[in-house]
Amino acid sequence: MDSQRAKARALEAEITALRRACIETQAPEDDDSQVRKSFQETYQSDSEEWRSSKDLRSHLESLESELQFLSRLTGISIRNYCKKTEDLTSTEMAEKSIKKVLQRHRLSGNCHMITFQLEFQILEIQDKESLSSVITDLSIIMEPNEYSELSEFVSRAEEKRDLLMFFRSLRCFVEWCDYRKHTFKHFKEKYPEAVQLSEGASSSYMGIRNPSQPGFELVIVWRIQIDEQGKVLPKLDLLTKVPLQALELDKNRVIETAPLSFRTLLGVLGIEATLESLIKSLCTEESS
Amino acid sequence: MELANTLKQDGESRGGVLAQLERLETQVSKFHKKLEEPQDAQALEARIHELERLRDNLRAEVKQRQAGVKASTANVEPDQTLEISEQEILERKQENVKAILQAYRFTGISGKLTSRGVCVCISTAFEGNLLDSYFVDLVMEKPLWIHHHSVPVFIPLEEISAKYLQTNTQRFLFVLCEYLNAYSGRKYQADRLQNDFAAFLVGPLQRNSLCNLLSFTYKVKLKGQSFPFCARLLYKDLTTTLPTDVTVTSQGMEALPSTWEEQRADHENLFFTKPLHQVFTSFARKGEKLDISLLS
Repeated sequence: MDSQRAKARALEAEITALRRACIETQAPEDDDSQVRKSFQETYQSDSEEWRSSKDLRSHLESLESELQFLSRLTGISIRNYCKKTEDLTSTEMAEKSIKKVLQRHRLSGNCHMITFQLEFQILEIQDKESLSSVITDLSIIMEPNEYSELSEFVSRAEEKRDLLMFFRSLRCFVEWCDYRKHTFKHFKEKYPEAVQLSEGASSSYMGIRNPSQPGFELVIVWRIQIDEQGKVLPKLDLLTKVPLQALELDKNRVIETAPLSFRTLLGVLGIEATLESLIKSLCTEESS
Repeated sequence: MELANTLKQDGESRGGVLAQLERLETQVSKFHKKLEEPQDAQALEARIHELERLRDNLRAEVKQRQAGVKASTANVEPDQTLEISEQEILERKQENVKAILQAYRFTGISGKLTSRGVCVCISTAFEGNLLDSYFVDLVMEKPLWIHHHSVPVFIPLEEISAKYLQTNTQRFLFVLCEYLNAYSGRKYQADRLQNDFAAFLVGPLQRNSLCNLLSFTYKVKLKGQSFPFCARLLYKDLTTTLPTDVTVTSQGMEALPSTWEEQRADHENLFFTKPLHQVFTSFARKGEKLDISLLS
């Protein structure tokens, strides 16, 4: 009985200590109170709308549809976002009416098939004349990794802390990838025998061969590059695979000069027309 | 009790969590009262179990707070009176969606629905520096039209809308975003040159509103000698922040001594490849002696 009472007392003491710990770990400026603060502000301004769950639900629905619309319009879909703010204003600064704030942001979402996760910090300094906002840290994680052209671009964006350029180029890159995929698919459907997509429509290679003349193969290499300035440019090249005998017979060196002629043709006809003419020229004797 | 006072002071801003703590405290003080009375073994057993439960709850609470995770009231046992109301869930979701809508500005293009369409906001930046935002108020009718906007008059808005607005609104926004960001970036570089490197400039920096034609005279020191150069930067491509044409000439003199000629050529190259204010930062850093290794 005594040991039980002792046990009960020990538990009560522990509970008291834990309650104290609970209150102490709640820092003055933590997320919870931030959320509730902005929450209360919104409550005050939209108090009409919070009367019932039903109103709240319909408001939420309209916000969500606004989000969907924005995602379609901008090409970027943000799924998650959170922000933490730290006030770095010292008393000296406050006296001169200078305010210094560090914001930590975490953002994740996707742009078509590419998902991204970003963490960045923004330092805001406000004085009497102006407000300066500078990104002081940027880290980017992207999936999938198979677009090798992207990893170099990502490190460059991180280095320059150019968040906006990252998104501009990402959109452009994704558009080009889509266009490439559709173009390859289109030709595969139109000329199923002649066109080979050995690595799938999402890869950078499209092979062309005439099934009645095995040994001859043309490979279109279509890379999408992002330069130092963030500009996205397609780069197409032609590779030829030809048996040795044919090379020897090629007096006019057509095969040797093919890659160069390919580039010229691209400049004149554009991508689709060039590919079309290539396929047609190789397969003029295609048996039905 | 001291703790009770602390709880009451912060009660206002701490809402549900402290209410929960208050309830726990009430329960514990109830047990305190029972401690005075003689207890039979069974009742004592029951009380111990109750205390253990409370203690375990609090331990979990402290652990969560220390891990920095918001305390979830979902941990609460069903027979305790606190429940998460549906209201709270919806309110939190709303918070989340509102925050995401705000976060779109970091992608460069964000917007707010209006009664007639959408007011799109384009944010600009140069490298890590966040700069001005511009808005375009679109009315979603057939045909789509621009109600009003804050795009500067020297940006070819009419041209861009004529090309894309009706057929591909997304592309219209992307192209406009490119133009505005490039303009913002060029302006930033010119401003930085004027404000931070005035010591290097001889006379004013001449610039047009589009900031794609810059003309200035600057002085650099080499081996104790100071020499003025005239630079003219032209940015023909309005979607870039680096010049397409650069000419650096010596002021007046016909023929330059070879070392200065080298400098002149190096500088031309630098202006082509590096942002304007960064070129001058490297000049400043080298101080007295200019180094050709700047190019590598």
